[in-house]
Amino acid sequence: MTSYQSQLGSGDGIAEELAEGQRAISIAEFFEKNKHMLGFDSGARGLVTAVKEAVDNSLDACEEAAILPDIYVELQDEGDYYRLIVEDNGPGITKEQIPKIFGKLLYGSRFHKREQARGQQGIGISAAVLYSQLTSGKPAKVTSRTQEREDAQYFEVIVDTDENEPEISVEETTTWERPHGTRIELEMEANMRARQQLHDYITHTAVVNPHARIELQEPKAEFKYERATDTLPDETEEIRPHPHGVELGTLIKMGEETDSYSISGFVQEEFTRVGQKTANSIIDSFRDRYFGREMAWRLPQQHEDATVTDVVTDAVVNKGQDATADFAAGITKRLENGDRVAHHQVVEAAEEVGDEVQTAYGTTFGSTVRENAVEAAWDAITAERESDIYTLVDDATTKRKDDAVIQAVTERLAAKFAQGSHHRVTGGDLREYVDRAADMTEERDDGTFGDTARENIVDALWETAKQVPDDPPKIHDVAADRDSASELLDAMRAVDIISPPTGCLAPITEELVEKGLGKEYNADFFAAATRDASVHGGDPFIVEAGIAYGGDIEHEGSAEVLRFANRVPLVYQRGACATTDVVKNINWRNYGLDQPGGSGVPNGPAVIMVHIASTNVPFTSESKDAVANVPEMEDEIELAIREAARELKSFLNKRRSMRQRREKQNKLATILPEMAEKLSSVTDKKELEIDNTMARIMNDVLVTREREGETVRLVVENNDDSNAELEVTDIVDAEPTAVNGANVVKMDDEWFIKWNPTVGASDESVLEYTLTDDANCDIAVDGIEDEKLTVDA
Amino acid sequence: MSTDDTSDAREQLLSLANQFYEQFDDGTVPSMEVPTRTKTNIEYNEESDVWVYGDRTSTRSAKSIRGAQKLLKATYAIDFLTRQLEEDRSSTLRELYYLSESWDLDEAQFSSQDESNQLIEDLEIVSGVTREDFHMRPEESGATVMGPLKIREQTRRGEREIHCQKDVGEGGYQIPNNPDTIDFLDHDADFVLAVETGGMRDRLVENGFDEEYNALVVHLKGQPARATRRLTKRLHDELDLPVMVFTDGDPWSYRIYGSVTYGSIKSAHLSEYLATPEAEYVGIRPEDIVEYDLPTDPLSDSDVNALESELEDPRFQTEFWEEQIKLQLDIEKKSEQQSLAARGLDFVTDTYLPERLTEMGVL
Repeated sequence: MTSYQSQLGSGDGIAEELAEGQRAISIAEFFEKNKHMLGFDSGARGLVTAVKEAVDNSLDACEEAAILPDIYVELQDEGDYYRLIVEDNGPGITKEQIPKIFGKLLYGSRFHKREQARGQQGIGISAAVLYSQLTSGKPAKVTSRTQEREDAQYFEVIVDTDENEPEISVEETTTWERPHGTRIELEMEANMRARQQLHDYITHTAVVNPHARIELQEPKAEFKYERATDTLPDETEEIRPHPHGVELGTLIKMGEETDSYSISGFVQEEFTRVGQKTANSIIDSFRDRYFGREMAWRLPQQHEDATVTDVVTDAVVNKGQDATADFAAGITKRLENGDRVAHHQVVEAAEEVGDEVQTAYGTTFGSTVRENAVEAAWDAITAERESDIYTLVDDATTKRKDDAVIQAVTERLAAKFAQGSHHRVTGGDLREYVDRAADMTEERDDGTFGDTARENIVDALWETAKQVPDDPPKIHDVAADRDSASELLDAMRAVDIISPPTGCLAPITEELVEKGLGKEYNADFFAAATRDASVHGGDPFIVEAGIAYGGDIEHEGSAEVLRFANRVPLVYQRGACATTDVVKNINWRNYGLDQPGGSGVPNGPAVIMVHIASTNVPFTSESKDAVANVPEMEDEIELAIREAARELKSFLNKRRSMRQRREKQNKLATILPEMAEKLSSVTDKKELEIDNTMARIMNDVLVTREREGETVRLVVENNDDSNAELEVTDIVDAEPTAVNGANVVKMDDEWFIKWNPTVGASDESVLEYTLTDDANCDIAVDGIEDEKLTVDA
Repeated sequence: MSTDDTSDAREQLLSLANQFYEQFDDGTVPSMEVPTRTKTNIEYNEESDVWVYGDRTSTRSAKSIRGAQKLLKATYAIDFLTRQLEEDRSSTLRELYYLSESWDLDEAQFSSQDESNQLIEDLEIVSGVTREDFHMRPEESGATVMGPLKIREQTRRGEREIHCQKDVGEGGYQIPNNPDTIDFLDHDADFVLAVETGGMRDRLVENGFDEEYNALVVHLKGQPARATRRLTKRLHDELDLPVMVFTDGDPWSYRIYGSVTYGSIKSAHLSEYLATPEAEYVGIRPEDIVEYDLPTDPLSDSDVNALESELEDPRFQTEFWEEQIKLQLDIEKKSEQQSLAARGLDFVTDTYLPERLTEMGVL
């Protein structure tokens, strides 16, 4: 630029020269330059991204129409390029909308909504169409059938890259076997080098969308992902923005477009969680910023030379002695109510008392009289500014400050409040006054004023100043002025406002997280945790975590980390994601997983999944591959993972103790029978039965049956050191009596007698009933691991 | 405590097996209780003047794998011992350890000889039968007696009458594993002198000390075997001979005296059968080191620890021992019996022992 600048004076034509090079950038050029941002940077990745955009759209559409999604994805290898087909059973798209949705970038229904949804910008699928047409030159082939229609619509569409408008090459009515749904066919230059990522994407989508059925047909393979639940995710509702979550530009736009007249109406109408009370707080806060406050001073005391009464009396002429005296005393009395007095309070007092006295005496106290009175009173009140400020500064600073220094600052500060003015200041003004006075004092009087001291003085002055009663400007005026709008935004952020409602979010829920993991991973253990909603920047969010462990999960290497945002799997940029960072920073050894070096992704047969649901997930880039490091969100991610990990820990502990137990049992199961056999031979006695001894050694719950005539006794002996809660069912072929409260059900000539005893540690309980002595019994015991149970009945 | 009757020993072992059998049969956990064999669990028995086990016991229970293995091994050992008794055979402790290798169940085999020795001790304690009556022998005894004593020994090859001075060579009469097979026939002895080291025993025999002073010189061979201690006790009890113990002047030798006199911690259950509470300590005493200015070695750290531990050992809680041990800790020196040779080869027989024994009222 400098070279042009140097020539500016020398001749004309530079601007014209420059202008020749300036023209509109076509959407295609923009895409070409920025395709990495949108996830189309290579043929391998482009395919995955196209599948992802199409599937995300399908899932969103089905959910909005409350349809259980049934999605079919097919990839055909056409030699030079791939053909991608995605079909869903969604509600279908109307004839008018089809071209725009697929052939126009940045067209969508969600960008302006605050609601949890997969897609948001309206870039995704049309970007895929654009990518396809740029690489293969073929149009997108879209078939869609809406629920009401007998026939389907077929379009071939491309994006007009100069205009960013759809260009339809074929449009016809056709038939389709699906009752409703949409099918898109794209041909693109692609390869299957990212097959693993594609599978990850589909598998992970199946995990977080347990209500969806997904089928993937590849050139040489086929994969099916069945649904695990018929429950659709809760419907989400759109919410208005939260005052803490808007930016200045948005606020100005909202202010320009609102139907409201006042600021109060605007904030209540356009924002969530703002009622009359919050609106008032916002307006008070805005007033402070917009108008500033009025400095208030102490009234002159009785012993001082000129009291308010004195000066007002002097200022009033020709109004009669009594009326004047009442007027002066009235004003004083009103002002004495508060500790300090600001200018507008004096005006208010003069007006009110003027009216009263006017009525009482029938003498006119006109505006000139009132103004004179106010002026006189204000002069008297502000006469001792220095001593007022001295008290404030002295209180606000440390005791160690030299008196002379404080006096010096006080004098300089007092000088800022000119005699006769109204002393209206903003926070910024005050800070400036204090800085200036302090700087001068440091320079001239050799005192020191650090930032803390300055802030304390500013705060003290600001607290002392009174809020002004002026009416705030109208919202359109605020929106029209950038500074005012900025002050309104600051005011909204300064007010405490309760968190946004969470009806706009649909977490997967703990139960379905476990089910989703369970259907794609054959593991021994599943845990899940869904946190309560939190807020970051005015957008509510919910974090969920799930852990699968053991079973068929790969034992070698580190655990698999699955990241999701609004039910969309994040497949790329794992290392840049806040979720991965949190997983790495947790001490997994505490939870029984192997973690070399004490940090990083843990090793072992585990899958750790994290789902973030939000109206606005903070991504690091437009390709939406990684969640940005937002502290509030990282905290919640950590808490969710820890919650699930605690369950994992207790499972692993239990499993370890069960394993030790089995080892012990195995060992004893060789030793004790040998010992018993040897004993029989040494003592020359009959063979021994040692099950009961084993039960007692293994701290087992031992259930034995005693029958004595018609009395049946089931003895439950708990040899463990913790309570045992059991379900004991005795199945008999004759009717039992005297069952003492047990639950008896008859089924097909058999009686099921059921007890639910809780047996304390090293305790026993006896379940007794009466039964004819020739009846047969069969016992079943539930509620305890097989390893810990010995039934001898 | 001793049972001469082998069938009684067998009965005792079988009753222990029966106890385990009953425990299984009742569905309870088989277990066996034995006194805790540590220094803190021995106490002085006023009646018999010896140290026996106190009330603390340890339980060997099948509740743990270790315990179950111990009981399994005990059962196998009982099986073996009862058969050995039935067949009137005998075996050594070491043989038992090797024999277990032939047992088909790995879990029943002993992992070390310490383990099999300990098991035999357990069985002795629980059954109240000595291992000699189980026909279990230690590997070597080798301890000898030399002096004016005539005995009759029941050997597997018939009775033998032996005079322990006239019928034996310079090595003396070898004490059998079970000294209860000996009858005392006649003697001319005034006292028993139990000597720790072989060198000193040979010096006394060479110098004719046994003949000159009518002494029965018993060679302890370090920490004395049970048979040696049993014979010493019988010489004292049956022939009414004073027993004098002559060892090196170091803490380990005091323990030898302790086990002759009061019984050892490991065999406290047999103290009444093995210990001779009346035995007296001749030397080498720490005061001798000072008095005779004997050649010395400095105390090692383990010596100091052993001395300090003896100060707390209930068996050494007497005025004499406290004084001697404290003196030794003070001078930080120890001497061997043979250091007396610094004063001439005959000093021990001509001067040291006669003076000391006279002082102690034996001569």
